[in-house]
Amino acid sequence: MAAERVLVPLSDTVTVRQTVAYAVQSGLETADSLECHLVIALPYDVDLPEGKRMSDGAEELLERAENWVEEDADGADVTIETAVLGTDEYLFGPRDYAEIFRAYADDHGIDRLVLDPEYSPGVTASMLQPLERELDRVGMSYDEAPVERAARHGRLVLSHTGFDRLFATFWISFGFYLVLGDPFYWFDLLTGAAVAGIVSVSLAHVTFSMPLDRVQSPLRAVRFVFYIPYLLWEIVKANIAVSAVILRPSMPIEPTLTRVNARVRSGLPLLALANSITLTPGTLTVRANDQQLLVHTLIPSAREDLFDGGLEKAIRFVFYGRESAAIPSPNERDDAEIVGGDEL
Amino acid sequence: MIEPIALQSTLETVRFWAIVLCLGLGVFFTLVSTVGVLRLPDIYARAHTASQTDTLGAGFALAGVALAFGWQHAAVYTVLLLFFVFITNPTAAHAIARSAAESDVEPVLAEEGEADDAEVAAETEGETR
Repeated sequence: MAAERVLVPLSDTVTVRQTVAYAVQSGLETADSLECHLVIALPYDVDLPEGKRMSDGAEELLERAENWVEEDADGADVTIETAVLGTDEYLFGPRDYAEIFRAYADDHGIDRLVLDPEYSPGVTASMLQPLERELDRVGMSYDEAPVERAARHGRLVLSHTGFDRLFATFWISFGFYLVLGDPFYWFDLLTGAAVAGIVSVSLAHVTFSMPLDRVQSPLRAVRFVFYIPYLLWEIVKANIAVSAVILRPSMPIEPTLTRVNARVRSGLPLLALANSITLTPGTLTVRANDQQLLVHTLIPSAREDLFDGGLEKAIRFVFYGRESAAIPSPNERDDAEIVGGDEL
Repeated sequence: MIEPIALQSTLETVRFWAIVLCLGLGVFFTLVSTVGVLRLPDIYARAHTASQTDTLGAGFALAGVALAFGWQHAAVYTVLLLFFVFITNPTAAHAIARSAAESDVEPVLAEEGEADDAEVAAETEGETR
């Protein structure tokens, strides 16, 4: 009987040990010999300063996992292959991960993928559900490892990140309350503190989708303030261009459907980008599948602006800093194209 | 002490005309947006111009309101109001465009031959829907 080949994507979670154990055990049940491919897919931000630490961590995790497999194999015929994926491309959303696993599986004749239910590469939140959907889409068979895990909530000791969240939520809601009320009236200060306290205790753990950083998060807020005038200026320019086209009797519109692959992270940055694109008249986000934005453009000048990626650069500036803003435009890096109506 | 009063009254005049200008621009862009909704061929193109009302139309109108309020707390509310409009407007426009895409509404595209033909086709299509 030929060796069963399983692919196990690893990430540093509490359940990764059990996932490896399940992969080895279930693989040996169906076949006499097992070829166990342990892979780590590095997320897109591996280029950033903290990326070095991440890729070192990846090597370490692979070594640990190799030992686990040998331990679980217990003398059976198990071959181990390890690989680090995504070093030469940007992995953003679940779609990219599904595709890179698919490509790896095709290259190595993988029969099955064993998925860690807590699988979360990089710093992003768990992405099991979207990843499962994308794996279905690319036609990859997978198995979710049955694991026992500790409940993630109800911890009594307030951790470092937990405090940061509470702190940030408290001051954001307190500030908003005072904007609505009168910041110099003792009653508003008192009720505001009470309300902000309740809000932060009950909602802090769902408020932020990414871990807060004591330096970077306030910086992002500051940079966002600089982004607003830029966005307003873009809106005014686009409004005048669109108005001129609409009011001209010949109405020279040229509607096209375009696809732009945005290089920003899913979640808040992508939302901000898609919303900004829609907010400027002349471009309208019709679909957003992960980083693939399907944008309807009304006039050629709006399309050119979109392909030049001014808003994308600005969003990257807000979320990742000035160095990251200097990336090639979607046009230059071949991430923008005009597509037909059947793409919808 | 005549000068300060004169200065104040010129400032008042400037403020008055600034308010009028803001409201006028707001009305103008809302009007353009209405014309656009009537003239443009299909739902996707109309969604573009509908967002003009919310961005510059509401933007200028609210700027006029803030100027009229002057330096008091209510002016902060108008800024907040604009902020929320700027969040909800693209969300709604995207929701409309997306649901149109999901119910297989074909967009009128520039490559599909003559613009006039496309416009007529879209208009009749729009009526049957």
